[in-house]
Amino acid sequence: MFDRRMLIAAVAAAAVLSGAPVSAQDKSIVVSSTTSTQDSGLFGYILPLFKQKTGIEVKVIAQGTGQALDTGRRGDADVVFVHAKSAEEKFLAEGQGVKRYPVMYNDFVLIGSKSDPAGIKGMKDVGAALKAIMAKGAPFISRGDRSGTHIAEINLWKASGVDIEKEKGPWYKSIGQGMGAALNTAGASNAYVLSDRGTWISFKNKGGLVIAVEGDKRLFNQYGVMLVNPEKHPNVKKALGQQFIDWLVSPEGQKAIANYKINGEQLFYPNADDHNA
Amino acid sequence: MSMRPPALDLPIMFIDVRVTAGAVTILDGVTLTISAGMPTVLIGPNGAGKTTLLRAAMGLVPASSGLITWGGRESSDPRHRAIMFQRPAMLRRSAGGNVRYALAAAGMPRGKRHERADALLAEVGLAGLDRRPARRLSGGEQQRLALARALARDPGVLFLDEPAASLDPAATKAIEDIVRAVSARGVKVVMCTHDLGQAKRLAGNVVLLHRGRLIENTPATQFFATPRTEEARKFVAGELLV
Repeated sequence: MFDRRMLIAAVAAAAVLSGAPVSAQDKSIVVSSTTSTQDSGLFGYILPLFKQKTGIEVKVIAQGTGQALDTGRRGDADVVFVHAKSAEEKFLAEGQGVKRYPVMYNDFVLIGSKSDPAGIKGMKDVGAALKAIMAKGAPFISRGDRSGTHIAEINLWKASGVDIEKEKGPWYKSIGQGMGAALNTAGASNAYVLSDRGTWISFKNKGGLVIAVEGDKRLFNQYGVMLVNPEKHPNVKKALGQQFIDWLVSPEGQKAIANYKINGEQLFYPNADDHNA
Repeated sequence: MSMRPPALDLPIMFIDVRVTAGAVTILDGVTLTISAGMPTVLIGPNGAGKTTLLRAAMGLVPASSGLITWGGRESSDPRHRAIMFQRPAMLRRSAGGNVRYALAAAGMPRGKRHERADALLAEVGLAGLDRRPARRLSGGEQQRLALARALARDPGVLFLDEPAASLDPAATKAIEDIVRAVSARGVKVVMCTHDLGQAKRLAGNVVLLHRGRLIENTPATQFFATPRTEEARKFVAGELLV
């Protein structure tokens, strides 16, 4: 059999011969995050700035918030950067995360077709709008993927006094897919759908879809970032991960977040200084 | 489940990018973000670095120093980008053959190419010219055929280097109409032009380059109404920027 010590020696020799500083190559972290931060292009904008400053490469796994937290629970990420405060607090309570830092918020918008079958366009009360959709049996697309947006949707139904699991009918379709797919489905079926504004703005296939309801305070969407607990997962790159978190909440990182715009429209609003967020 | 690939190529970022050729500096410390949305139009005098910037954003020219990223990644498969050069070379075959060649290069199976090529020719207003030898098309038609070839890659980002240079107003309008339609479909268009009227008609934001430096990058409405820099003011006023 091949001697493992020989292999180690050979690898070590190769490293010496190539003269490559192993630690420099290794300056990367894995961030488990949501599809909205990725699909909106925010990461594409802020991560190169972070890399330029620190030399640390950030590898992103973009999933729904629930899955993103599970990736952290398995120790497959160094940092989780998600948007569902209650789920994040549970993550902390389980000892999976070290500390939660508020970073930024964006908001949700309720999207619908121009024909507006539930007659909710321009309403200021998202709860009333959802009830009208249900009352009229107008088609509604749910992400159904445990994403932050899906959780926000469930909470909105709850806040308007509707137990959606009990009361949903054929008008309510749960598709178990990402934001882009949900918007496409809504566009194809004249349905309503809840979207984060970032994905909506950068969504390319708007067709007959428009914003039906926006601006209600309940539509706010807070993002938090946490280091995965190195005591539970010793492989977590504690120092590099914390460096990323520190940069995100620093004036420089916060400014970078605010500077990201599409068609002149700001997508995310930094609020690391709001400790209640 | 859905561990998806990062969202395509946007934004494209230049961070303090220098491109040199021997002793000549072509791009000098350019920092620029190209994000989704309306077309980004590059303007500036000859030799300002417009073409090089376009080629670097396509991934054809490496940065001598600084950082170029596509959707946050430093190297990116150019599969979702397409570029049309200022003087496109027509292959010595029919118009349809030119487009089918591009489709083949983009990996489309043979059986689907004819139908798709016809659709692309129709999109650029060349329906019916499928069998015409490409080199016998007019200048404007060749330019549109080159656009059809670029679109054959089904790009998310489309780079156009002076797409309507030396075309008459009707041919220019034909090109602009296509650009507008493509952009409305969600394709990010990045183009350079010498035609300020064209920049006004198409641009979401305007990037002014001069001697390899980025002078101004502002929303188009603001650029033409209240240019921030003296150079931009001169350029808009039609004074020579040398």
